[in-house]
Amino acid sequence: MRRLLLAVGFAALTGPGAAEQLVSQVSSEEVAITSSFAGQTLTLFGSIEPETGSEQKYVEGPYHVVVTVTGPLQKRVARKMTNQFGIWINTEQAVYEEFPSFYQVLSDSKLDTITNPIALAENAIPLDSPAIGKTAAPYPQSQLFRAELVKLMERKGQFKSNEQGVIFRSDTFYFAQVALPSDAPPGPYIAHTYLFKDGAIVAEKSNGFTVRKIGFERFLGIASRQQPLLYGLVCVALALFTGWLGGVVFKR
Amino acid sequence: MQVYLPIAELSMNLFFLVGIGGAVGFLSGLFGVGGGFLLTPLLIFSGVPSSVAVASVTGQVVAASTSGALSYYRRGQIDLHLSIYLVLASILGSFLGVWIFGVLRALGQLDLFISLGFLLLLGFVGTLMMTEAVRSILKRRAGIVVREKLPNQHNWFHGLPWRVRFKKSRLYISVVPVLLLGFCIGVVGALLGIGGGFILVPALVYLLRVPGNMVIGTSLLQVVAMMAATTILHAVTSQSVDILLAFCLMVGGTVGAQFGASAGKYLRGEQLRALLALLVLAVAIRFGISLVIPPSNPFSMAVMGAGGAI
Repeated sequence: MRRLLLAVGFAALTGPGAAEQLVSQVSSEEVAITSSFAGQTLTLFGSIEPETGSEQKYVEGPYHVVVTVTGPLQKRVARKMTNQFGIWINTEQAVYEEFPSFYQVLSDSKLDTITNPIALAENAIPLDSPAIGKTAAPYPQSQLFRAELVKLMERKGQFKSNEQGVIFRSDTFYFAQVALPSDAPPGPYIAHTYLFKDGAIVAEKSNGFTVRKIGFERFLGIASRQQPLLYGLVCVALALFTGWLGGVVFKR
Repeated sequence: MQVYLPIAELSMNLFFLVGIGGAVGFLSGLFGVGGGFLLTPLLIFSGVPSSVAVASVTGQVVAASTSGALSYYRRGQIDLHLSIYLVLASILGSFLGVWIFGVLRALGQLDLFISLGFLLLLGFVGTLMMTEAVRSILKRRAGIVVREKLPNQHNWFHGLPWRVRFKKSRLYISVVPVLLLGFCIGVVGALLGIGGGFILVPALVYLLRVPGNMVIGTSLLQVVAMMAATTILHAVTSQSVDILLAFCLMVGGTVGAQFGASAGKYLRGEQLRALLALLVLAVAIRFGISLVIPPSNPFSMAVMGAGGAI
């Protein structure tokens, strides 16, 4: 108890200088996938302000901002091929539960100049952070397969780190551009902003947005899940009709 | 022009899709096969998830074979009685095939099995067709009149129990080999996403001794019925049939098939068969090489379970 009081007292002494909050907004909270969807760029903009209720009038930097954007979670498996009897076969695998289908790390400068690796790892910020995805695989494999999985996701364009992705317009106003590719998985996304000062996190903020199919694409997606038999029958009817029409038009 | 495919969850160029549908349709019209064995690998290579590619191509094969089957039906060149036995057996087979498909996918051995299956099947059929075609080309060069094998010659398995009279094919044979053939085609078709026309046609000719004028029509009807059943089965079990992708391929495929069929009139039968054999062997070799050479990256990934949000 005494120690707690001491800590509170200490915080009160240094408090006024270290109370920031982030005010941020995503340019659109719903990304609509239409028939001509070819990817979209979202802007996350925000400013660093004194905490509400504090007597501070302004904040003092220098600040660094890191934004992570996480897409819907999936169960993903990484497999390794080895040569058996002259042919290449998948022999080893590791399954990751709750592995993000999309992950981007945006920052205003190099991550290792913003803070130390321990602080980054504790918050699971880097692409190959061991906290991303849960696996039942034993230790050396779990790390190796995760690293390979991350490389594969990077090659596919779904994982990306951009150390010039956050741009400061003034000392306290920043924005970050999140480029969603055309094959961005639909579902809930979270943009998490970390505010760093002298290598330590002083404020955090989460903004959510959703990627969803709309109109005809949404109708087809729902139909294939909820009425699979009818969907299959319609597909066959369409195929029979197209084939018949082709035969009639060309009078084969 | 980009078009978003709602089940594959990616955008592709509309003209590219109609284009490959048309190119494969041309070949299928030329050779009288469905073309699934070319289209499925092409789509996988273009980035479509393999389960979506296999399931959507089945829809395209239905369309590509329908116009052909209809014109043979009008000319009375389909043995409906024989087709019923083949179709029922192959639908049973496709249930087993779709089940094996799911088991192999869970084990992570689906790609290996697809490669091995294509290699063995296409290699075997391609070699048979090639030797037969080359032999008849050489005979024609030498001026020997090729006498077609009589359709009424019987094999030992024609005499098995449950003999049935197929009037149109002028056959009185046991239904056991017919049902077995249909069942095997069903399993292989569902597993590899192919109609199996290129296996069924030689099997009908050489094993069951079905007369030549009935073979193509009967085989086409069997492909239409079996692939229609497989499309529905894939739609229900894996929900991976992309109707927009299938439609783009269908449009290209039906148009291409018409041009292929008219181009086919300018080539002789054995030349056509030699060309088809070359094509089949090329695909087989392509799969063989992928099994033997070291992969550029030994690691691969896949999403498990049903898809996410809509």
